[in-house]
Amino acid sequence: MTKFAVALLAGAALLLSFAALAQAKGKVIGVSWSNFQEERWKTDEAAIKAVVASDGDRYISADAQSSAQKQLTDIESLIAQGANALIVLAQDSSAIGPAVQKAVDEGIPVIGYDRLIENPNAFYITFDNKEVGRMQARAVFAVKPVGNYVFIKGSSADPNADFLFAGQMDVLKDAIASGTIKNAGEAYTDGWLPANAQRNMEQILTKTGNKVDAVVAANDGTAGGAIAALAAQGLAGAVPVSGQDGDHAALNRIALGTQTVSVWKDARALGNKAAEIATLLADGKKMNDVPGVVKFSGGPKKIEMNSLFLTPIPITKDNLGVVIDAGWIKKDEVCQGVKPGTVKVCG
Amino acid sequence: VLARLLKSAELDTRMLGMVGALLAIWIAFHLLSGGLFLTPRNLWNLSVQSSSVAIMATGMVLVIVTRNIDLSIGSMLGFIGMVMGVIQTDLLPKLLGFEHPGTWLLTLAAGLVLGVVLGALQGYVIAYLGIPAFIVTLGGLLVWRGAAWWVTSGQTVAPLDDRFTLLGGGPEGSIGAAWSWAVGAIACAAVVVSLVHSRAQRKKFDFPLRPMAAEVFLGGAACVVILAAVAVANAYPWPIGSVRRYAEANHIALPDGGLFIAHGIAIPVLIAVGTGVVMTFLARRTRFGRYVYAIGGNPEAAELAGVNTRWVIVKVFMLMGLLAAIAGAVSIARLDAATNSEGTLAELLVIAAAVIGGTSLAGGTGTVAGAMLGAVLMQSLQSGMVLLGVDTPLQNIVVGVVLVGAVGLDTIYRRRMGSVS
Repeated sequence: MTKFAVALLAGAALLLSFAALAQAKGKVIGVSWSNFQEERWKTDEAAIKAVVASDGDRYISADAQSSAQKQLTDIESLIAQGANALIVLAQDSSAIGPAVQKAVDEGIPVIGYDRLIENPNAFYITFDNKEVGRMQARAVFAVKPVGNYVFIKGSSADPNADFLFAGQMDVLKDAIASGTIKNAGEAYTDGWLPANAQRNMEQILTKTGNKVDAVVAANDGTAGGAIAALAAQGLAGAVPVSGQDGDHAALNRIALGTQTVSVWKDARALGNKAAEIATLLADGKKMNDVPGVVKFSGGPKKIEMNSLFLTPIPITKDNLGVVIDAGWIKKDEVCQGVKPGTVKVCG
Repeated sequence: VLARLLKSAELDTRMLGMVGALLAIWIAFHLLSGGLFLTPRNLWNLSVQSSSVAIMATGMVLVIVTRNIDLSIGSMLGFIGMVMGVIQTDLLPKLLGFEHPGTWLLTLAAGLVLGVVLGALQGYVIAYLGIPAFIVTLGGLLVWRGAAWWVTSGQTVAPLDDRFTLLGGGPEGSIGAAWSWAVGAIACAAVVVSLVHSRAQRKKFDFPLRPMAAEVFLGGAACVVILAAVAVANAYPWPIGSVRRYAEANHIALPDGGLFIAHGIAIPVLIAVGTGVVMTFLARRTRFGRYVYAIGGNPEAAELAGVNTRWVIVKVFMLMGLLAAIAGAVSIARLDAATNSEGTLAELLVIAAAVIGGTSLAGGTGTVAGAMLGAVLMQSLQSGMVLLGVDTPLQNIVVGVVLVGAVGLDTIYRRRMGSVS
C-alpha cells in the first residue's frame, strides 16, 4: 500500500516537474545590479546567466552604476521589458522601496540579492553575515583559546561591520566573561582601507607593548593591514588572524602561514541559488514553498520575510583545496613562495 | 634675551608657533596615554606613518603656490601603486625570475616615469588648454581610481618583492644605528657648512649679518635636534621575533637578555626627509622656484616679465606626479600589498597638511618645511587618538576642527602682523 502511494507520488512529482519545465521556457528573468565597479558581481552575473540559459529562459539586466536614483528607473524598464521575476542587488536598501512595491503590485516576484530589501512580499537571499563573524572567531579561538584579542572591525558606516562583530562576540562572549580572553583593543577601519587597519594595529601594538595573542579582522583587506603591522614587530605567523572574502592575496597568506582563516562566500553558489529561485517564482511557485526557506525578521524594521541563507565556508590551511577545485584561484597563485612540505595542497 | 636672540636669528615665528603647537599636542597625548606617546617606538612609528603624506605635501605646496590645486594625487598614488605591484609580482618575475635583485629598481623606475607622465598630461591640459586645475584633477581623481581598479580588476596584489618592501620601513627596512649616526653627522655638517657659506655670501654682497651668537645658536640648535632624532630612532630596538630570526639566519646564539639591535632611521623617513631637502632647495635656490613663487604672487606680472608660466606649471604638475609615485612606492611597500583603494582620500590629507603648514590657498606663499610639519601634526593627532582608544568617527571630527582652527588662527595672526607693519 505504502509502496503504491510512494510510486504514485513520484509519478505525480515527475509529471509536475515536466510541467514546470515546459512552463519555464521563455520566461524572462530581470536582474538589477548596483554597480559593476566591484569585481565580484561579474562572477555572480555569470552564475545567474548560466542557470537562466540552461532553463531556456531569457536573461535581461541593468547596471545602476552606484546610483540609487538610476536603479529606480532600471527596475521600471526591466518591468516594461516583460520580466517575470526580478533579482535586485540594492544600491540603497531603503531608497529601493517604491520600485520594489511597483513590481509587487504588478504581481512580479522580487528577490533581494545579498543586500536586504525590507518588503514583506520580497524574497531575501544572502550569506549569513553573523555566521561569517562566528566562523572567524571560532577559527581564531581554535588556535588561541586564551590571551589578548584585538578586533579590527570594518567601516563604521557599513551595517555589515556590526553584524560581523556581533557574530564574533557570540562565540567569544563566554570566554571574555570568564576572563580567559581579554579584549585588548578594538577599532573601526575607516572605509575598510587596509592602510587604516595597519595604522590602528600599529597603535594597538604600541599601546599593549606587543602583548597581543590573536587578531579578529573583519575581512581580508583589513587582515592584510594588520598582518603588515604584525610583521614589523616580527609577530606575523605567530599570531592568528582572521579574514573573509577569499581574496587571492589572503589565500596565499594562509598557505604562507601568516593568516589563519578566510571565510569564503562562493559568489557562484549565491548566483545559482538566486537564479533557481527566480525561475521557480516566475513559474508561479509560492515564496514559502521554496526549498530551504526560512522566516527572517532581523532587519532594522523587523518585517517578517521569506529568506534563504547560504552557509559560507571557512578556508584554512587544511582545506585550501576547496577554493582551487572550485576554480576560484589557481594552485600556483595559492602556493607562490610556500616552502615545500608545509602545506598539503602545495606539495 | 631669548626674544632678541630669536629675532636676530631671523627665524620664522609662524614656524616656531607650529613647532610649539606640535610639542603641546605630543605632551598632551603623552600624559593622557599614560606615558606611551613620547617613546622611541611610537615616535618611530609616527615618522613612518607620516612619510607618504609628507612626501606629497612638499609638492602640493608648489601646486597651491601657483594658485592651482591637485585633487588627483590619492587616485594617482593608487593607480601607480597597482602598476608597480603588477610589474614586480607578475611582469618582471616572468622575465627575470622570482626575487631577482634588480626587480625593485626597475619597478621603482617604471613607477616614477609613469608618475611624471601622468603629471605632465594633467599639467598640459591645465596650462595649455586652459581648463581649471580643480576640474582637470577632479577628473583625474575619477579616472586614475578607475584605472587602478582596471589594472587587476580590483584584485589585491601581494606579497611584494622582498627588496621593494624595504622602502616601507620595518626592522629590515631601517638603516641601523651606525648608518643613522653617519647620516646625522653628515646632516649636521651640512647645516654648519650652509650657515658659514651664507654668512660669507652676505658679507660679499654687503647684506646685514646675523650676530655671531645667533649663528652659533642656530647651528647648535639644528645639530641638537638632528642628533636627538637619530638617538630616538636608535633607541628603538628590533622586536624579539625579528631578532630571533636574525640570530638563526646568522647562526648567532641568542643571549638570555636578548640582543639589542637598533632600528635606526627608517628608509621611508630618509626618503621623505631627502625629498624635503631637495624640494626646499628647488623652491628657494633655483630659477624654477623663483618663477613658481612669482607666478603665485602675480601671474600676469610674471608672464609680462618673460616667465614661460605655462611651462613652469606643467613642470610643477610633473613634479607632483613624481612625488605621488614615490609616495605610492612607500605606501605599497609598507603594506606589502598593492590594493586598488590605496591612497583613498590622501589628496585631502595632503592639502590639509600643506594648509596647516601655512600655505595660502590664495597662492604665492607657503614653505616645504611647513607642509611636512603639517603632515606630522595631522598624523600625530590620528595616531595619538588611536592610542587613547578614540574611535574613527570622533577622530575625523577632531582632525576637521583642528584643520579649520589652525587656518583660522593663522588668518588672525597674519591680520595682526599686517596691521603692525
